[in-house]
Amino acid sequence: MGGTPTSVTLTVNGVERTLEVEPRMLLVHALRDDLGLTGTKVGCDTSQCGACTVHVDGRAVKSCTVLAVQATGAEVTTVEGIGSLARLHPLQAAFVEQDGLQCGFCTSGMIMTALDLLARDPDPDGETVRHALAGNLCRCTGYETIVDAVRAGAATMRSPA
Amino acid sequence: MSIEELDTTVVGVRRPRIEAPTKVTGTALYASDLPVAGLLHGRFVPSPYAHARIVSIDAAAALALDGVAAVLSAAALPIAGSGTRALEPLAREEALYAGQPVALVLAESEAIAEDAAELVVVDYEPLPAAVDLDAALDASAPPARTSTVGAADAADMAVHGDAAGSVEEAAPTASPNVTSTHRLEHGDVDAAFAASAAVAEGVFRTGWVHQAYIEPQVATAWVEPDGTVAIHSSTQGASFARAAVARVVGIPLEKVKVTPAVVGGGFGGKIVLIEPLVAAAALAARRPVRIAYTRTEDLSATNPAAGLRLEVKVGMDAEGTLTGIRSRIAVDEGAYGDMSPSGLIGPRIGAGYTWPAWDVEVTAVKTNKFGPGAYRGPTATQCTFAIEQLVDELADRLGLDPLEVRLRNAPTEGAQKLDGAWPAVAAREALEAAGEHPLWRKRAALPQDEGIGLAYGLFPGARFAAGAVCRMEPDGSIAVVTGLADITGTATAIAAIAAETLGLSFEQVRVNVVEASAAPQTPVSGGSAITYSVGKAVRAAAEDAREQILRIAADELEIAPADLEIVDGAVRPIGSPDRGVTLSDIARKSTGFGNAYPPVEGRGATVPAELSPSACVNIVHVRVDRDTGRVDVLDVAHVQDVGRAINPLLCEGQMRGGVTQSIGYALFEELVHDEDGQLQTPTFLGYAIPRAEHVPAIDTVIIEVPSKHGPLGAKGIGESAIVPGAAAIANAIHAATGARLRTMPMTPRRVWQALRES
Amino acid sequence: MIPAAFDYVRPGSIEEALAALADPDAKALAGGHSLIPALKVRLARPSVLVDLRDLDLRGVAIDEAAVTIGALTTYGEAARALAGVSGVDALREAIGSVGDLQIRNAGTIGGCIAHADPASDVAAAVLALGARLTAQSPAGTREIAADDLFLGPFTTALAAQELITEITIPRGGGSAYASVEDLASGYPLAGAAVRLARAGESDGSCRVALTGALGAPSRLPSVEALIEREGVEADLSAALSALELATDDVAYRRHLVEVVVRRAAARAVERSAA
Repeated sequence: MGGTPTSVTLTVNGVERTLEVEPRMLLVHALRDDLGLTGTKVGCDTSQCGACTVHVDGRAVKSCTVLAVQATGAEVTTVEGIGSLARLHPLQAAFVEQDGLQCGFCTSGMIMTALDLLARDPDPDGETVRHALAGNLCRCTGYETIVDAVRAGAATMRSPA
Repeated sequence: MSIEELDTTVVGVRRPRIEAPTKVTGTALYASDLPVAGLLHGRFVPSPYAHARIVSIDAAAALALDGVAAVLSAAALPIAGSGTRALEPLAREEALYAGQPVALVLAESEAIAEDAAELVVVDYEPLPAAVDLDAALDASAPPARTSTVGAADAADMAVHGDAAGSVEEAAPTASPNVTSTHRLEHGDVDAAFAASAAVAEGVFRTGWVHQAYIEPQVATAWVEPDGTVAIHSSTQGASFARAAVARVVGIPLEKVKVTPAVVGGGFGGKIVLIEPLVAAAALAARRPVRIAYTRTEDLSATNPAAGLRLEVKVGMDAEGTLTGIRSRIAVDEGAYGDMSPSGLIGPRIGAGYTWPAWDVEVTAVKTNKFGPGAYRGPTATQCTFAIEQLVDELADRLGLDPLEVRLRNAPTEGAQKLDGAWPAVAAREALEAAGEHPLWRKRAALPQDEGIGLAYGLFPGARFAAGAVCRMEPDGSIAVVTGLADITGTATAIAAIAAETLGLSFEQVRVNVVEASAAPQTPVSGGSAITYSVGKAVRAAAEDAREQILRIAADELEIAPADLEIVDGAVRPIGSPDRGVTLSDIARKSTGFGNAYPPVEGRGATVPAELSPSACVNIVHVRVDRDTGRVDVLDVAHVQDVGRAINPLLCEGQMRGGVTQSIGYALFEELVHDEDGQLQTPTFLGYAIPRAEHVPAIDTVIIEVPSKHGPLGAKGIGESAIVPGAAAIANAIHAATGARLRTMPMTPRRVWQALRES
Repeated sequence: MIPAAFDYVRPGSIEEALAALADPDAKALAGGHSLIPALKVRLARPSVLVDLRDLDLRGVAIDEAAVTIGALTTYGEAARALAGVSGVDALREAIGSVGDLQIRNAGTIGGCIAHADPASDVAAAVLALGARLTAQSPAGTREIAADDLFLGPFTTALAAQELITEITIPRGGGSAYASVEDLASGYPLAGAAVRLARAGESDGSCRVALTGALGAPSRLPSVEALIEREGVEADLSAALSALELATDDVAYRRHLVEVVVRRAAARAVERSAA
């Protein structure tokens, strides 16, 4: 059987990491299990729910649909890399204030996708936000407070205090 | 002072969830995030057949793989008994549905477990399957189960109330799959119909619907050196799970511990499904075991809402008063009746109304599908889908205003319903508020193919015995101790209740969630009963703590407790802000060494005397694309009585979430089986839940008609929020097109078909 | 949920990649957003994945006559490059229909076309726009017309050791893509791409391609002939009823086919006149 473990070096949240992984290992599992970054979640089998969304080389992708080996040499950012409890990213703060979450399981993915949208469209309207979140499923909130959070976070990011 | 007059400073404030910062930073610990040394990962070997005898299981090839620790079948588990899902987490001699776990592979990694699961060879002898509900009811249907059922020792899973009505043995000529019949009757329904100005009837069908929490089911178990089985689980009820594990696995209760993880959604589907299995597997393997369902396993082998067929006939007099209801309901119980809604659904067909006469019969039928579980207000959405369409139809036929008709039949306290008398319910207030809403007023002048519909509904809720502790920490802050699994923001709500009661700021209170064996009695987070029941206990515990604090301060200050107040973290004489003793002073003197006073340990143990249902009204504006049958929900207004909004932000969250799930019920969601019992929708590729672009802004209108029983007048609201939406959408589709759909979900295909036929 | 084991190679040149694909159990990996989902449910079990990531096949070149898209250009990169570019509206609209933001950041145009999903939005667009694929094999380079590419479900005219390097789409005319999506999967139940010539254009033909409802993305010659003869208001029912649809639910699907053809044709007419 194939699958000899191979060495993968990638930058995760600004830190260079080297992992020994089987080629079949999904990036989401490498992040969660090998690097202990459990903020990124697994919610489905079919690349739909978006709970696993991270940034690879600056773009939001579903880490359940990327092999860890594909990310060799790449810069990966997870939700843990954009802010912390001591210092929330404005978008994270907006999700808290606008109640853009309930159970929170979809939240990491929502935030990472939203950041990608805002990088290119810093002032999106509600419809644009909803379209951008087509690949992120939420079961608790009904999405409205998520949209509010993205737009509120965007406003803060446009004019930081 | 009555609750209505109670001025509050903490309760009633819109405030973010206390755990929100951990959730937005990825630091909240969900059940599969917990690092556990020596963990074995579980993966199921599922039955490919809807019905088959399991002849043999050959695990040799699987066990030969490096990293495979065990392949367990039912015989290897320390679970005795059979016949219920609780006692058969792995199939025994008979596979009863396609996807049913037949064996559990335990391996060093998920990848190896999956490799090994493919190598387990199971010899099946296929048996005829009973799949379709109608066909399964036929006397000539094949039996969904042939093996004899052992001593059924299932837990009473009556989270949502007790079974109602009389239960009859199935008649001998009935299908082998009929398990029970419940009857509810009162008065002379035929006479009522004969005297009615109009009668409306229909056969309504609703499919199996999954709770579709974004975090699939997951639990981890390990055995501690003293033989205690410790479980960390994505559960809605740690205490309930603990008792179930002890009973099912046959170990003493004191040897079981269950810690609730942060839960990634439950909605009724995470009430003790997998804890007994993971505990049994850990005992059998003698190593920690985690079972983390894949989405496919979760959609295929958990406990969704049961499929139903509802035949309903309703009469109305010329003034719009409902005269009577006759209903024959068939409940598809799948393979297991553990959490079948058959005992609960009878009264639900009465929806939110008072009735003079009724004749209801519920037949429960086994089929070769998964067994059902609870999903947010079980059966109420489906029953309301039927009733609210019939009421709309009758109003239309009699030329009556649809809102007036609801008002006419809205219950007052003590009015008759199918299972007793109505407690106080603010249906009138909710309906009147809905009538004032601008969205309702728009309904007459809409563009082509657009329509506005309205529906009224509620879920009765539940009332639970609950305990709580409210203790002073060494730094003078207050900790509420509970075993609560927070699925709706209840921790934030109880913190506010405690803070309000004690006269503290919100920030001075924290909520400590502890493992079930150490926690005060904490019910399952379900039944819309946590704020209502646990909140009540917390209120009592906080009042007790307050009294204790005042007694200590009274002694220190030599002033009677009645003349003291707690303000800004200190106890001071009323009217003398310069004197006082701080809470941290009190803490210093009542904790640590050399205590002058006993510690402040407030206790609450309560049970609400009655239910306090939360009435709601949903108004929906839709546009129907006649070409494709697609229904777009353009606008929603949702009015709901919350009793007292402990935190309006949390209330709105429940309302929007419930409405969105009702959109899912109405237009998107169904678990579909083919005629061989194969699940056609085992992933999100087939099972659709609403996405952001499918849900409009939802205008939430909170009204407050305080409950006599809930803490500060609060009612449980989570389940009522989902109830009327699907019916409102159906009524809106009718307003838009003239077509009435009686099958949920009202997919584009079905809408298109209905438009062609009308 | 986790693929069966495989080996992994990451060639630095097309020649190396083609050599690695000599193994009949090898599969090329582009963006991976069609292949990896298939690996995860173990529908595909290649022995080795040949990751094309390091090959220099990205980028979009635009001139008056055509748009040329490197095979490893992602949907998102292509969408951004084609914003405001006239004469390729059907492709831009089809790309916008694919998946979601994250999927469009990873999936590639070449990978999509080579995968030949019978419900591929982009396949319909490249057919209707008369695209040409440049493909390289150990034997050399050749051009394949999109018309000759899609042979059946997940089957193309590409050889096992052949890779698409770029896609050339002639600009011109007015085109559009319209689809009706499955609520769950987002895939088109029916998706139609229509290209109409502008008045006075030398290529006066109408091109109509359908995806989602047939065994493979296909041109609809009988529909094209009707539209050329009678315009977009032509009665298409006879032509459509002759189609062999890849579904049991024929009446609804056939109706959806007509709906998307008409919607795409109506927009194409507007754009061809503009």
